[in-house]
Amino acid sequence: MEMQGEALIQAPKQVVWDALNDPTVLKEAIPGCEELTQDGEDGFAAKVRAKVGPVSARFAGKVQLSDIDPPNAYRIHGEGSGGAAGFAKGGAFVNLEDDGNGGTLLKYNVEANVGGKLAQIGSRLIDGAARKLADEFFDNFAKIATARAGLSKPENEKGSNEQPAEDDESSKVATSVSEDPSASEKGEDGQTGNQGTESNKGIPLWIWLSGLAVVLVGLLYVLS
Amino acid sequence: MPRDDGIGAAVRRKEDFRFITGRGSYTDDLNRPGQAFAAFLRSPHAHARVDSINVSPAMAVEGVVAVYTGQDLADAGVNGLPCGWQVHSKNGEPMAEPAHPALAQGKVRHVGDAVAVVIAESRTAARAGAEALEVAYTPLPAIPNMKSAKGAVATVHDDVTNNQCYDWELGDEAEIDAALAASAHQVTLSLVNNRLVPNPMEPRVAIGDFDHASGEHTLYTTSQNPHVIRLLMGAFVLGLPEHKLRVVAPDVGGGFGSKIFHYAEEAVVTWAAAKLRRPVKWTSDRSEAFMTDAHGRDHETTVTLGLDADGKFNALKVITDANMGAYLSTFAPCVPTYLYATLLAGQYTTPKIYAGVRAWFTNTVPVDAYRGAGRPEATYVVERIVEEAARQIGVDPAELRKRNFIAPDAFPYPTPVALEYDSGNYAGTLDKAMAAVDYANFKSRQAASKAAGKLRGIGFSAYIEACGIAPSAVVGSLGARAGLYESGAVRVHPTGSVTFYTGTHSHGQGHETTFAQVIAERLGVPIDNVDVVHGDTNKIQFGMGTYGSRSLAVGGSALAKALDKVEAKAKKIAAHLMEASADDVEFKDGQFTVAGTDKSVGFGDVALTAYVPHNFPHDELEPGLEEQAFYDPANFTFPAGCHICEVEIDPDTGRTEIVNFVAADDFGNIVNPMIVEGQVHGGIAQGVGQALLEGCLYDGDGQLMTGSYMDYCMPRADDLPNFKVETQVTPCPHNPLGVKGCGEAGAIAAPAAVMNAVTDALRSAGVSKPIDMPATPSKIWSALNGA
Repeated sequence: MEMQGEALIQAPKQVVWDALNDPTVLKEAIPGCEELTQDGEDGFAAKVRAKVGPVSARFAGKVQLSDIDPPNAYRIHGEGSGGAAGFAKGGAFVNLEDDGNGGTLLKYNVEANVGGKLAQIGSRLIDGAARKLADEFFDNFAKIATARAGLSKPENEKGSNEQPAEDDESSKVATSVSEDPSASEKGEDGQTGNQGTESNKGIPLWIWLSGLAVVLVGLLYVLS
Repeated sequence: MPRDDGIGAAVRRKEDFRFITGRGSYTDDLNRPGQAFAAFLRSPHAHARVDSINVSPAMAVEGVVAVYTGQDLADAGVNGLPCGWQVHSKNGEPMAEPAHPALAQGKVRHVGDAVAVVIAESRTAARAGAEALEVAYTPLPAIPNMKSAKGAVATVHDDVTNNQCYDWELGDEAEIDAALAASAHQVTLSLVNNRLVPNPMEPRVAIGDFDHASGEHTLYTTSQNPHVIRLLMGAFVLGLPEHKLRVVAPDVGGGFGSKIFHYAEEAVVTWAAAKLRRPVKWTSDRSEAFMTDAHGRDHETTVTLGLDADGKFNALKVITDANMGAYLSTFAPCVPTYLYATLLAGQYTTPKIYAGVRAWFTNTVPVDAYRGAGRPEATYVVERIVEEAARQIGVDPAELRKRNFIAPDAFPYPTPVALEYDSGNYAGTLDKAMAAVDYANFKSRQAASKAAGKLRGIGFSAYIEACGIAPSAVVGSLGARAGLYESGAVRVHPTGSVTFYTGTHSHGQGHETTFAQVIAERLGVPIDNVDVVHGDTNKIQFGMGTYGSRSLAVGGSALAKALDKVEAKAKKIAAHLMEASADDVEFKDGQFTVAGTDKSVGFGDVALTAYVPHNFPHDELEPGLEEQAFYDPANFTFPAGCHICEVEIDPDTGRTEIVNFVAADDFGNIVNPMIVEGQVHGGIAQGVGQALLEGCLYDGDGQLMTGSYMDYCMPRADDLPNFKVETQVTPCPHNPLGVKGCGEAGAIAAPAAVMNAVTDALRSAGVSKPIDMPATPSKIWSALNGA
């Protein structure tokens, strides 16, 4: 599966960066996150519980960062196991830009593979679930980051995940990309992109975790 | 006047009331006292080394009773799953037959391969336990398809270095090559017979039980052949003697072949029940079914037909690659060989035929028999190339077939591919089908479609199948590790009702009605006074089960022989009662009479006398009226016929609509025409599904991409037209009922008919390059738009 998108966070880069480097912030922002710990210099380990319908499953994942170019770009690679649900592994390239209005524009490009029951469910379900988790993460993170930035309220995300597309995954995601989201455009609309948070570690992590969560969702469907 | 419940009557199925009112008793409806539940942890990887399994977290889950791994089974002396058929390569070497452990030992080889089993007080706890297991895998390069198997970039089994199971052939390749070279026309096609997931309505279930007092093991399972499972599991896997192992297959909700085979879960629950001293139940969910039920088909073939200037077939050469999946399922090796290449003569007099078949291991679910098993693949090859040849040399496809049919007076007809056809009238079924489809006016319908912006095409499929498998001596010489006879026992009760014990197994075929009709006809008892019992090794003498359209041809013949014995004994009793010679006693419509007199005695009186033998010829007969027979056929039976499909394609969307489908089948004598028509309908539906909708796909990593009904498209009512089903009767000359079998014909014939019609429609739009099944709208649209 491939997922591309971007998010606008109404907070200065440095604030975003710091928040993303703070495991407690990430833990709070990641839906269903039970545990998040630093694992080595450039890595995190996380346990995330996802529940869909009658089934819940716990994913254990690890993420490693590379090509760190603070505060502009990084690569992330990780993998996680959901036990009977299967596994997910993949990587992402993330970069951050100043939007010129005091906000930060985060762009991401994820490639992930899932296996076992997760793959069996089909990418359509997984994509939808992944996007939903990404939305939740951005929402949570934006609140925290903007609060930290001392702003009264976070602008809400919209932008990339307009809707569950009927098309296949890549094209859905691509919609946001093809919009050529100039930061200003979204800013003007008041549609703030999802809060991309950027920290070397944080961003990739959430992407990764949302992938896992998606997987979980799929699993639940399968099991139910 | 014929009976309204005898042979030939369209009796409503006796079993349907309980099925449609929810009163069937399926394996999952059974629950044993004190039963525990099993859940299997399955590999998410197509190919991986299992480095470690940490069972402690699973054991800590509340309600978990036990966790077993492949190592536990090995330590307990549990063997791997056996293969029931051995094929030899053309160089004389036996096929590669790698171990097939019930639970993975060191390596997993397909997504869904069982790694461990968790047994718990509830299904939920068992699943939670499986979820908690910690397995460390090292992923290995996967072989997701036959192309990569041939490349041997990795090996599915360490001891099969080229991933090849066998390289088999039938015929003299050089001779056939020479005949092809000398032919006026040569026509070649490359064809894919798409992999299918069987999808019976009822997923598999297995319950193991153990009687501590008697030492008897019982397996309740969703099987088409409980005695075969008893043999395979008892003798080969668990080492249990037959008299201490009972296998019960109660109501079974469809199988289509996928419930012939012995599966790992059956052995594991049987073994675990004895170890834990309590019943253990496993119920597959649909996701497990997708990744553990043996798949079907999956052939890639190149076929060349040589014709002389008059359109007579000179020679046929077929080269096929067949996917076995990760392990050899029970009968997998015989499907692309003895059930496939032997049918490549079709209905034709083609004098020279060569088949070369290579079977490959891949990191996918094992592939085995699926409705038709080899014969649909053969029919697809023959009927696609014949139709292609007709189009290329400009002869009407019906005419080309007629020029090459085996004539009705040519039987018995030995083909160049090892079979001897016993009977048939192929022009008869072709003519019937052409009349039913109104072939004469097809061109005007095609023109009308064109005027409406649609593409109309028509396609034939003149199929033949070898059914009623089979003569034990023949299959034994071809590598079968079992005999293929059938047994039946007729128990007449004191008041004249009858119970029939058959070694066949009904999982949707309507045996309780069909067999009862034969008994009603022969003994003159009402059909409601006849019960048919099957599916329990403790009740049934022996049996080989139901597959290959064999139940009536083989099991019905055993019944007929047992009825002969019943009648012979009853005549002697009647003769005693009437003080006549048994030679003078006639039996008709339930009455015994003495020729030339008005003496008569009813069947019920004879039955009562047999069990209350106050006045009985004890010096020459034993009391009781119960007889048993085993029947081993002299030959296969050869149902055949012609299906014609007419399609209309919307070029804007690529969607194919089947606007007309006719079937003219020759199944020999017919006991219940309504059941036969139902079987034909179901078979056609599956054939249409294969042709237009179904396709099992793996990605490059060996992940199953079509693992749910989101992505695997089953045929639905609105995908199908109203079928026109006609029959022709050319009785089978070598079995007592003259029957041939009807269960698989639709699935065998339909794919070629549909695809020939699609090809014809595309050709009318100038697209001559054939497309492969399933002919989805996207494929058709792409073909029409040169994409």
